[in-house]
Amino acid sequence: MSESGAQLLARLEARRCLKDIEPRLFPEDGGPDQGAVVELFGLEGTGKTELLYHLLCRCVLPEAAGGLEVDVVFVDTDYSLDMLHLVSILDSKLSAALLAGADEAALRSCLSRLLVVHCYSSSQLLLTLHFLETTLSSRPALALILIDSISAFYWVDRCEDGVSYTKQEEKLSRCAELLGRLLRDYRITVFATCHAIRRPAVPSSSSDSERSYLCRSWQRLVTHRLLCSRQKPGNNVAGEGGDDQEQRRHQIFTVHCTTSSSMVKASWSSSFCVTEAGVEFLLESEENKCAARQ
Amino acid sequence: MVVLREGMCPGLDEDLLRDLRAADIKTVEDLVSSDIEGLAQKCSVSYKALFAIRRVLLAQHTAFPVSGADLYEELLSSTAILSTGNPSLDKLLDSGLYTGEITELSGGPGSGKSQVCFGVAVHISYQLKQSVIYIDTTGGLAASRLLQMLQAETSNTEEQMEALQRIHVFRLFDVYALLGCLYSLRSGGLQQASVGGGSVKAVIVDSVSAVISPLLGGKQNEGMSLMIQVAGVLKTMAKDFNVAALVTNHVTRSGSGEVQPGLGVSWSHIPRTRILLERVEKAVAVSRPSLRSAKLIKSSRQPCHIKEEFDLQWWSRSEKGSSGKRKLDETDS
Repeated sequence: MSESGAQLLARLEARRCLKDIEPRLFPEDGGPDQGAVVELFGLEGTGKTELLYHLLCRCVLPEAAGGLEVDVVFVDTDYSLDMLHLVSILDSKLSAALLAGADEAALRSCLSRLLVVHCYSSSQLLLTLHFLETTLSSRPALALILIDSISAFYWVDRCEDGVSYTKQEEKLSRCAELLGRLLRDYRITVFATCHAIRRPAVPSSSSDSERSYLCRSWQRLVTHRLLCSRQKPGNNVAGEGGDDQEQRRHQIFTVHCTTSSSMVKASWSSSFCVTEAGVEFLLESEENKCAARQ
Repeated sequence: MVVLREGMCPGLDEDLLRDLRAADIKTVEDLVSSDIEGLAQKCSVSYKALFAIRRVLLAQHTAFPVSGADLYEELLSSTAILSTGNPSLDKLLDSGLYTGEITELSGGPGSGKSQVCFGVAVHISYQLKQSVIYIDTTGGLAASRLLQMLQAETSNTEEQMEALQRIHVFRLFDVYALLGCLYSLRSGGLQQASVGGGSVKAVIVDSVSAVISPLLGGKQNEGMSLMIQVAGVLKTMAKDFNVAALVTNHVTRSGSGEVQPGLGVSWSHIPRTRILLERVEKAVAVSRPSLRSAKLIKSSRQPCHIKEEFDLQWWSRSEKGSSGKRKLDETDS
């Protein structure tokens, strides 16, 4: 398809590389490059959406507050975007940076870098991704697409299109192929959450439930996989309903990252807990401290 | 999947439709994903015309991106927090039910889920003077119980009647009726129910698992698909009309023996906040059979696993300190 000169320039112009978006999540030098697709996989309540908010804030905040100042598109397929929660995290990060300018104006400029799209079916997701192509060419600062979640239409598609798996997975495959083309042409990065649909029968062995169940085209696209899980809260039976701070500190989430991109196959584990100001990563020594307390 | 029909947009006439169908393009998605140049040659129509048709169809069916700032402004002015009427439950929910979200109440038989739903409905219709949609799938709703709860709040019969009129009840017993009811509410029913009273602020479905769990299990996936469709309609209704959705669920035992909410892992991602209700065993000895404990098992605002106890008999009063209101007679039938 022919494109105008402006479109060509917008396409070739370098978009911000997001390799350093969160070095604590990824192995050494294994951060998401341009064209990378990161899948966050896990059961409910394991912190996937919290991580997405954390990455979103990192992208839209001004450089003075530790951000990257890039535009972000948030594709919301199961109506889980909590704007008020997101704004409270942005607020606390902005005030922590003690910026001299007016708070309202800083917040507005951060929010204006965010575009939100709601989709309610996989065919609408496909059409929206086509539409986003024009948005991508008109906004060269757009470097990240967040999808929450890519598995929202899995069961509805399974039932809608007959008996053969290929027909059932067709819509998501088309979305994945289109995403692949957008990644190649525009050099953006994609982060997507995928809900687990199987709980491990025995809590320790989890290999079966961690397998990706979406279509092949999506699985081929994924370059980094973050497996999220929640550690059991500590044995503070006596402190039930007591100290809130204590309770929060014991709710630790772990993320295990596996990359299959480039020549190096690497993996990396990290842990975090959720506070008022969003996600807080635990350092190695803090992890051991919490374990010792249990 | 939107099928291409003539007259959908200017330029899409019968001849063009026939040519497109011959080239295996039957839906809007096919047209948008295909190569326009090649297609224009095959259907012997100008590239410009086909490109314009594609652009119009895409604009008609896509979801438009909204700027974060505009979305935030909109939410600030439209999100509300509805108190449930019970101070302990409000503490657990971070001051009440949030509009635009689904809150789930799960518990075993006799744990008080329906009573909690009655309490919430009565509080919203009497104290907050807003309408409530109550969808009853178990047959457990009795207007006499609602009246009894209202009589504890006020002795003015006119006010009682007004409050009862603001609670709209739907009785359905299978999932297709539930879907039909939710779809009709979404496309105009909510506005109708808002006439003559406050606007609808809460939709209570008691219980959602009663109509869905008989369809789950086995090799058919239809049950899962229907469950996700119900969830989708509830969520879009909650978001678009700014209502709080409250659903109830049964419980099952997990592999390790502990009690967990039913309907499986795929449902667990749907509600934003989940509460587990249980009877308090020691209350049997203390002869307070209406004591219940609520535990928060999923929340994005509070630390999980905090517990609160409350008494079903005195809905709007907390554990400590009752105001001088009348206690309901236990012999009332």
